[in-house]
Parts: sequence; structure tokens; C-alpha cells
Amino acid sequence: MVRQIINPYKEAVDIVKEMGGEALRLCYQCGLCTGACPWNVLKSFPVRKLMHEAQLGLLDFEAEDMWACVTCGNCVQQCPRGVEIIDVMRAMRRTIVALGVGPVPDSLRVTMKNLAGTGNPWGEPTEKRADWAQGLNVKPFSNGAQMLYFPCCTTAYDASVSRIGKATATVLQKVGASFGILGSKEACCGESARKAGDEELFQRLVQENTAAFAESGASTMVVSSPHCYYTFMNEYPIAQNGLQVLHSTQYLAGLLREGKLKFSKEVKKRVAYHDPCYLGRHSGVYDEPREVLSSIPGVELIELPNNRENSICCGGGGGNVWMETKPGERLAEVRAEQALDVGADVLALACPYCMLMFEGCLTQDVLDRLELRDITELVAEAM
Amino acid sequence: MEEPKIGVFICHCGTNIAGTVDIDEVREFAAGLPGVVSARDYKFTCSEPGQLQIKEDVKNLGLNRVVVAACSPRMHEITFRKAVAEVGLNPYLLQIANIREQDSWVHKNGSTEKAKALIRAAVQRANLLESLERREVPVTPSVLVVGGGIAGIQAALNIANANHKVYLVEREPSIGGRMIQLDKTFPTLDCSSCILTPKMAAVGSHPNIELMTYSEVEDVSGYIGNFKVKVRKKPRYVDSELCTGCGICIEKCPWKTDSEFDMGLGKRKAVYTPFPQAVPNVPVIDPDVCVYFEKGTCRACEKFCPPGAIAWDQKEETVELEVGAIIVATGYDLLDPSPLTQYGYKRLDNVITSLEFERMCSATGPTGGELVLKDGSAPQSVAIIHCVGSRDKNYCEYCSRVCCMYALKYSHLIGEKTDADVYQLYIDMRCYGKGFEEFYKRLSDEGVNFVRGKVAQVTDQVAGEEEQGKLVVVTEDTLLGRMLRIPVDMVILCPAMVARADADEVARRFLINRGADGFFLERHPKLEPVATASDGVFVVGCAQGPKDIPDTVAQASAGAAEALSLIDRGTVEIEAATAVVDEEMCSGCKICLALCPYNAITFDEEKKLANVNDILCKGCGVCVAACPSAAITGRHFTDKQIFAEIDGLLADVKPPLVAV
Amino acid sequence: MVTGTYEPTIIGFLCNWCAYQGADLAGTSRMEYPPNVRPVRVMCTGRIDPTFILKAFAEGADGVLVGGCHPGDCHYLEGNYKAIRRITMVRRMLEQFGIEPERFRLEWVSASEGAKWAKIVEEMTEQVRDLGPLQWWENVREA
Ligand SMILES: Cc1cc2nc3c(=O)[nH]c(=O)nc-3n(C[C@H](O)[C@H](O)[C@H](O)COP(=O)(O)OP(=O)(O)OC[C@H]3O[C@@H](n4cnc5c(N)ncnc54)[C@H](O)[C@@H]3O)c2cc1C
Ligand code: SF4
Ligand code: SF4
Ligand code: FES
Repeated sequence: MVRQIINPYKEAVDIVKEMGGEALRLCYQCGLCTGACPWNVLKSFPVRKLMHEAQLGLLDFEAEDMWACVTCGNCVQQCPRGVEIIDVMRAMRRTIVALGVGPVPDSLRVTMKNLAGTGNPWGEPTEKRADWAQGLNVKPFSNGAQMLYFPCCTTAYDASVSRIGKATATVLQKVGASFGILGSKEACCGESARKAGDEELFQRLVQENTAAFAESGASTMVVSSPHCYYTFMNEYPIAQNGLQVLHSTQYLAGLLREGKLKFSKEVKKRVAYHDPCYLGRHSGVYDEPREVLSSIPGVELIELPNNRENSICCGGGGGNVWMETKPGERLAEVRAEQALDVGADVLALACPYCMLMFEGCLTQDVLDRLELRDITELVAEAM
Repeated sequence: MEEPKIGVFICHCGTNIAGTVDIDEVREFAAGLPGVVSARDYKFTCSEPGQLQIKEDVKNLGLNRVVVAACSPRMHEITFRKAVAEVGLNPYLLQIANIREQDSWVHKNGSTEKAKALIRAAVQRANLLESLERREVPVTPSVLVVGGGIAGIQAALNIANANHKVYLVEREPSIGGRMIQLDKTFPTLDCSSCILTPKMAAVGSHPNIELMTYSEVEDVSGYIGNFKVKVRKKPRYVDSELCTGCGICIEKCPWKTDSEFDMGLGKRKAVYTPFPQAVPNVPVIDPDVCVYFEKGTCRACEKFCPPGAIAWDQKEETVELEVGAIIVATGYDLLDPSPLTQYGYKRLDNVITSLEFERMCSATGPTGGELVLKDGSAPQSVAIIHCVGSRDKNYCEYCSRVCCMYALKYSHLIGEKTDADVYQLYIDMRCYGKGFEEFYKRLSDEGVNFVRGKVAQVTDQVAGEEEQGKLVVVTEDTLLGRMLRIPVDMVILCPAMVARADADEVARRFLINRGADGFFLERHPKLEPVATASDGVFVVGCAQGPKDIPDTVAQASAGAAEALSLIDRGTVEIEAATAVVDEEMCSGCKICLALCPYNAITFDEEKKLANVNDILCKGCGVCVAACPSAAITGRHFTDKQIFAEIDGLLADVKPPLVAV
Repeated sequence: MVTGTYEPTIIGFLCNWCAYQGADLAGTSRMEYPPNVRPVRVMCTGRIDPTFILKAFAEGADGVLVGGCHPGDCHYLEGNYKAIRRITMVRRMLEQFGIEPERFRLEWVSASEGAKWAKIVEEMTEQVRDLGPLQWWENVREA
């Protein structure tokens, strides 16, 4: 029998605790988290075991498991002892990044380097940040405008996702909202950096953006990404600065209630809505997206078997969007299968990461049968 | 007032106080305070020699005030009051400084300074203390027991057998509580009805017990030794005097509804007794189901009842009782597991709760004791999920204490009735009681599968041939470190035991507190386990917290003993620290009258003065603080005494430049 | 004025049945918290005369903390409701004297909430420490 010596990384484990993994002491090893974790439908990801290894100081920082958590929050929501499992996962990654006790996956390292250099994950030039809006007559934010639109790096730079930004801008223009964008003055919200353990980089991005927002003088900001939304709401000093942040679906639902969102066309489709983790579980926004979708003439809204609090992650959270996932281990595939099973023509999304994940993971065969549309796209189409 | 001669006695409490408070420094400080003639310390002031030290000093030094700096007054005020009374000092001339619970035990630094401030305040207050006389009033020698589960039954019998009158009030048509719903009981597997029905019958026929079923307590007033209780009796529409319990009405009644007793698994009639061995064996007519109340028709029961006991014109009745003590034994409810959607209760067939399972196993239950699935067949495999809502901060943080054991019991019962494989899905096996570990071993020997893990999901979404038509239990086996899918036919949930839905109301009615877990709070978790914040009101059984039958019975007898010792004493002392009106100063404004929660203040129309009734006043002081003429004094908590205390607490901080 | 060693003194008025027992429980459970609150036991928060609070401030307290039973749980049924009303008045008076609202607190602590008591004391001590010593008489003089 192999005997294990306790505490080979005593310091590292203390740091895990110090870096926010403290609630870990409460874990009583019931294993509910493992069972709740979507990964375990596809592959083994021993969440509970990681918690115990962390408690005893027996973590293997070299293991792939350090990077698997998609921070979807399904386990945290149910844990009977209130262990903030995501914080523990983040603390482990932070320990690796800060102390170099284990390898950071290559793709993630490149992404973080890009973020540090250019403020976006692709390393694209900052000047190009407003390019997605070319030809749409979207103005830079000026003090007179009602609100600021923050598109998210993915929307701004990724060719297949920029349609979210375009659709949003179109809808905003059609309802006559006065809005503008910051373009090259803004940077990534930094959520991925934080979840990937690069706290220093995250704090830098917070400072840059906070300064840019303050300088702009905006009082309302609409965002496309639930990740930006969650981060601004919970990890930025934004509320103190008096800036109101709304996810695009919240903004649209508001217009709807005020009678300002009018449709002229039908979209005759069976639409299933995928709750993004960061809009649903993390931010508690479940009703607004459904309200908007079901108001679109012709749309038949159907629910996926795992919906609302029980939604399954697309697989992109926690920095996983920047990492390779092996075929057969893709959560997006599980989700698409569920949508097809309930007879959906369209999988409605509300998150640029989800869009990127689904686009990247699904085979053409599936994409032929299941359309991927952001909610704003469907709204724009019906206006 | 005589010149105060104060003695200060500082307790080390072993190292409990002396470990953090510098006793010598504090003693010297105390000795220098105005009015103090002696300051002494001792290892355990509450011990015999410690008390002797106080008594000797009172005698030899002529002390007329005593300050004890020790543990909380809630701990030993009574002890020290008694000690000083023994040497002729009025017990109200004693003051305690709490330097343990609120000082040495909670502060690493600064406890010596705080102890000094507390002692200075106590000394200054002691300067102004006045003698008070306690009065004794006679006790009504009868007891009210609320709730007729095993706890209430046991307590009632104990008291009645000691030749005292008991009123037993039960909300349901019969006594028996949860225990009579159970089939067999761990760890001995004796049948619940077999051991309980004789006790129920004894209650029903005891000359000293007045059984009031289908009744609820509406109002409680008075105080320890002399409570006045109003009980509302719901109409049964069956005359208890005439009814012979033949049951013909039940047989003839054509109207049915779900049986509460059988957890909705079976039916009962509009006229019913919840179960055959009910005590009293007098049916009730449920006006919500009986058509006579709606349409005036049917009356089948009336036609067939041999003694003509059906009484349509019965009305609700309120009865007033006088009792000396009250025992609350209202038991528990089970958590409704439907909000834990992952387990599929009410959504998936053959997911049932433990109490439903108990009814199913009972020979007099809805299936005649057969263990069957929805489709009538016998299960081939059963999963039992522990800790459903227990030990879970999202629902109930505490352990329900009986589930591990009854879950084991179920393995045995399932084995008796079927060939099914049984899976126990547990987090920790808690088998701590007498005979429990032995029972665990016995069941292990009978062949049960133990899987350690909190179940993530029960689903009917199958993945593969062997899961077809089954319920699949998804969990990590934490000992294997592997995810398991266990296909079974039946899932039994063990939901948390929770406080009764109306616990809040009941707490308010009897002036008792509830703990963070929702159950009624005992006065002290170890030393006063059945007393409550209300003198003369005791709480026993699962109303106080989850427990098994042996613990319930033991606690019920403890409650009975407490109640007996109270009513056998014959008299109780009543609070002397009451309010008193100064006739000179009362302006007759009547503000106080409306404020008193006990209606203890009356108004003398002739003299135009308010008057406080000593016996009714509980000394809360609401009127004292409200009187605009400062005409009411709260004895033992006078304005002057409290000001002196505040003064003493603050004497070491910067003096103010202006005074109020 | 605030020096590194400044420690505020806070007077606590605790009802006998809930807050005082809760504070005792914090002791029985050996929860550590700062020694800055000095307790006065009263039978019920309903007994607390506004002058007690003013007296405490006048005698040099930097803060006052009133602890009673949760609404609905008062041992004397409604003493705490009466306290709430009186305390609203006290708040207004303190405001007139220029005493920061953070220096006065009303908290519900049940007999089983030892941890809550410890937390409240810790929080309030910190808050009042940050405010520095109370020199309200200076405000009064100016006014
Ligand atoms: C599924 C299950 C299986 C169990 N199996 C076992 C076992 O095998 N062995 C064992 O030792 N223990 C077992 N227990 C525990 C056992 O049920 C309890 O210990 C016992 O029933 C507690 O009795 P009680 O009198 O305190 O409460 P209860 O049985 O709940 O009785 C309370 C009574 O008070 C009445 N009441 C409630 N509110 C009022 C009111 N306001 N006014 C008037 N009356 C009121 C109720 O109607 C009821 O009759 C089991 C528990 C469960 C849930
Ligand atoms: S669910 Fe919570 S308590 Fe259970 S093993 Fe996971 S972290 Fe630990
Ligand atoms: S947050 Fe989601 S992915 Fe991460 S461990 Fe929990 S359930 Fe698994
Ligand atoms: S007894 Fe606690 S507030 Fe009245």
C-alpha cells in the first residue's frame, strides 16, 4: 500500500484558504457537488474529492482537474454546508498562477497574455474594438446619450458572435434609444482572468474600466454578456459609483412592460431557451428572457428538461471557453441534444460565450437542424 | 437609609475567571470603592465554603449589602440570595456582577478592566438597593397537557397516577400522535400499536384525566401556579355520552375523502375515527365532506345509529380551566420534500416519504400491510435516501436524529415483505443510542447495500437497458469516488423533522421561545431541559426537538416530575420586583392602563389614581418608563439604581463637560 | 483626534430574557469578541427610559446598544414594540444633538443567538472606533 504524507504543500494550501477558499473547512464530504456537477454526465470530475484534498493539503496542482470547473454554480447552489466551491476552485488556480506550483494550460496562458497586452483575449488591436459596429451608424458615447452599450470582447472581435452586437444596436436604434459605445476606451471585464486565477490582471482591468466608465459620465449601461453583467454587479465598485447595469434581456423586458417594444413580423419557430449560468443561477435573472421571447409573435417557447435553476452549462464558463475540450466531453452537445429532443427549431441564447461554445462544439449536422440565435437577434427579426 | 456596608466577593471559578481576569488587581480595586468594607476572593464562591465566606462576613462585619462578582445572575443569583437570606439579609440586597459569561469567557484582552467597571457598577447599584418582601400564593393542583402523542400520554399518566387532575387537550379526534402511525419501532422492532394502545386506553379511562380531543387551547392567562386556560372544543356532531363506538355510522356513510392518518394513501368516510383503535372511540363528522351540511340531505348515519347519538345541532364550545402547571407536547411535522425538486416527490410515481411507507407497512393501513408499487406489483429494489432536508443549510441545518435508525428498520421491513434489494444512501450512519449499534450490525448481517453519498438526483430519464422503467438514483459513492446510477422501483425519502406549522402561534400563546431550528426552546440545554422561559410551562417530546420514542418518554416523565414538584409544593412565591404607583405624584392620566400587558393596573375613579395589582404585575417596567409624571417606581430596577449602574460603568472614561 | 489606541466604550441595555441570555450563550460557547460593550441588565426593553440612553451618552459613553427579543417574542408580550416607538423618539433627539446615528443601535437577539450577539458587538465596536470619541457637548455648545 502506498502511504501518503500529509501536507506536502502546506503553504500552498494555506494560500488556497487565504485566497478565498476558506469556506472549504465546512465541507462534510457528502458528495452532492460531484453528483450535481454537469461534467460527471460526460467524464469523471471528482469535485468532492478535490475539496477533501484541499482540506488536508494533498492537492495535485499538476492535475487537469484544476482547470475543469466551468463555474456554473450548480454545486454551490445545493451544497448543504454552504461551501463556496467555485471560490475554492478559483483559489486553487490562483495558487497555481501566483506560485507556479503547476502548469497552466497553454491556450489559457496565451489568452491571459493577450488580455494583459491588449485588453482582449485574442490579442487583437485595441483600435479595432469598435469595428463590429461599422456601417451601423453607432456613435461613440457622449455625455448627452441616455446609455452606454458594452458589447463584450467576444461580440466585439469574434466574427461569428458579432451578430449579437449588431442585433442589439439595431434594436436600440429602432426603439429610438439614445446610446453610444466606448470602443477602444473599454477593455475586457476580466471575469475569465479572475476565474482562471490571474487576480492581478483582473484587478488591473477593473481599474481601467472603472476609470473609463467614470470618465464617460454614463448613468446606465446595457451589456450583452451575463459574465460582464455578473462581474460589474458583484466585483466592480460600480453600484457605489451610481452606474446602473442591465443585461440586454432586462432592458428589453423593461421596454416591453412600458409598451415601447413593438413587433411587426412573425417568427414562426419552436424556441427553446438555454439559461446561461451567469444570468440565471449567478444573477437570478430567469423571467425577463422568457418574457421577451414569448412576446415575439409566432414564437412558441418550450422549456428544456434542465431549465432555470437546473440549467446545464454550455461548457464555456470558468475560462473553459478558451481551452480545448475533447469531442465527446462537450456539454454543449448534451444541451443541443436536449433541445432537439423537445422538438426545438431554435436554441435561444443570451450570452456571447454560449454562442461561441455552441458554434464551436456542434457538428454541422446538428447546426443544420438547430438554429443558434441570440434573443436580441430574434427580437430584431420581428421588429 | 442606613449607611451601606458592602462586601465584595470575587470568584475565580477555577481558571474560568482567574485565567483571564487579574483577580488580585480587581480585589484591590474593589476594596477601594466607596461603601465597600471588605473585598475577598475565592476559588469557587458558589461552593459550600464559598458561601460560608459570605455568610461569615455578613455576620462578623455587619455587611448590609453583598456584591458577588462571578457567573451570570441567571446561573447563581438564586443560590446567593438564599445564602444571604440564611444570615438574615434580605435577598434583594444582593447584586451580581457577571464577570464570566460576559467577560472572562469572551474577551482575550481587556477583561480585567471590564471586570473592574462591572464591579464598580454593581457596588454603586448595591448602595441603592432596597429590601423587598416576596409573597406566597396557593397553587391550583392540576395540570394541563397539550398534545396527545406519546409524550403527552406519558406525562398525563404520570401525573394522574400521582393523584392529580390532568386535562389532556388534543387537536385531532384521537390521541396517539405520530407514534400510532408507525408500524414497528426500532431498535427492538416491537409493533407500535401493540405497545401504545394500552397506554391510550389507560388515558381514556383514568379517573384523574379529563381528555379533551378535537380541541385546542385558545387563550392562556395568569401565572405560575395559577393559570387560566380557555379550550375550544370543536363540535363532533356525535354525542359522546350516547355513542357506543359500534361504528355502524362509518359503515353506512357513503361519502369519502383522503385519510390524513394514512398520509393520503387511503380513504376515510365523512364520519370517521382516524384509525380503529382510536381513543376516544367516538367518531366525528367532518362538515367539509358530509353533504348534510351542504344540502341537508343523506343523514344515513342518523338513520342507522342504534343509540341515536348523531347530534347535528352541536356547537363549538369554550371551556375554562384552572391549572397550576402546563406541559406542551405538540410534537413535530415532517418537512414537505416537494421543494427538493431533484428528488421528484409528487412528480415521479413511487417516490414516497417515510411516513407514507410506515402507513403502507401497517397491517391496518391502506394496503393492508403490503408493500406495493403504484401498479400493484411488489418492488424488486428500493432506495432509501437519508437526510432529505436535514443537515442541509438550505433547509434544516440540524440532524433529525431518528432517520438513520428508521431507515435501517425499513431494510428489515422490506426484507420481511419482499425480496427486494435495498440501498441505503447515507452521509453518516448515526446509531448512537442504546441497542442502536447492535441493530446496525444486525441489519448489515441481513444484507443491505450501503452507499455513502448525498443523492444528487432521482430521475426517470433512463440511460440504457437495465434502467428501463425504473427510477434512477444518481449519486457519487464517496467511498469509491465514483458516480453511480442505481436503478430501483421505489424510492423512500427520509425528510427532516420540523416544528409544527403552528409552532409560532403556540409559542406566543404559552409565552415560550423558539430556537433557531424552530422548535421550542428549553431554559437551559443541559440543566433545565424541560423548563421554558415561562415559569410553570414545560416542554417535552419532539416539540422541543427531534428525538426517538425512548428519549421522548424519558423527557415526558421529566416534565411530569417538574409539574408535580410544582403543584405538590402547594404555594409559589411571586415576583417582588413589581411596579408601584406613588399616589402623591400620579396625575391620573391613565397612560399606563393601556400599556400593561397583564391588565395589572386599575384606576381608582374616586381618588383618580392608578393602582398596580401586585399579584398580576410581572415587573416588566413598561409602565415605569412610560409614566409622564414619573409616578411609577419599578422595584429593584428603579431609575436611581439604573443611573447609578450606568455611572459606575463609565466612571473611568472621560468625564462629561455638560450634564443632562 | 483618533489615535491608534483609542478604544470606545459602549453601554449595552439588555433585556433579561433574550439579549442577556444570548450574550450569556456567547460566553458559554466561548465566542471571542471585543470588551467594549458594558452591559446593564433590565427586565425588558420596554423598561428602557430614553433618559437612560441620554444619561449614558452624557456620562461619556461613545455608543449605546439596546438588545431585546425579536418582535413577537418579548417575554412580556409587547415590551419591545413599545421600545421601538420610544427609540424612534430617542433617535430624533440624538440627531438634534449631532450624535452620529451609528453610535446608537437597537438589535433583536434571541436567547439562542450567541453568535449574533458577538457579531453585533464586534461590528458596532469597529464602527464606533472609526467614528472616534464622542464629543457631543461641543456640538451642543455651538448650537
Ligand atoms: C417516519 C418515522 C419513523 C419513526 N420511527 C421510530 C421508531 O421506529 N422508533 C422510535 O423510537 N422513534 C421513531 N420515530 C420518532 C417518533 O415518531 C417520535 O419520537 C414520537 O412520535 C414523538 O412523540 P411526541 O408526542 O413528542 O410528538 P407527536 O407524536 O407529534 O405528538 C404530538 C401530538 O400533539 C398534537 N398537537 C399538535 N399541535 C397541537 C395543538 N396546537 N393543540 C393540541 N394538540 C396538538 C398532535 O395532533 C399529536 O397528537 C419515527 C419518526 C418518523 C418520522
Ligand atoms: S456538496 Fe458541499 S459538503 Fe458536500 S462534498 Fe461538496 S463541498 Fe462538501
Ligand atoms: S461550479 Fe459547476 S462545473 Fe464547477 S464544480 Fe460546481 S457544478 Fe462542477
Ligand atoms: S423581554 Fe426581551 S424585549 Fe421584552
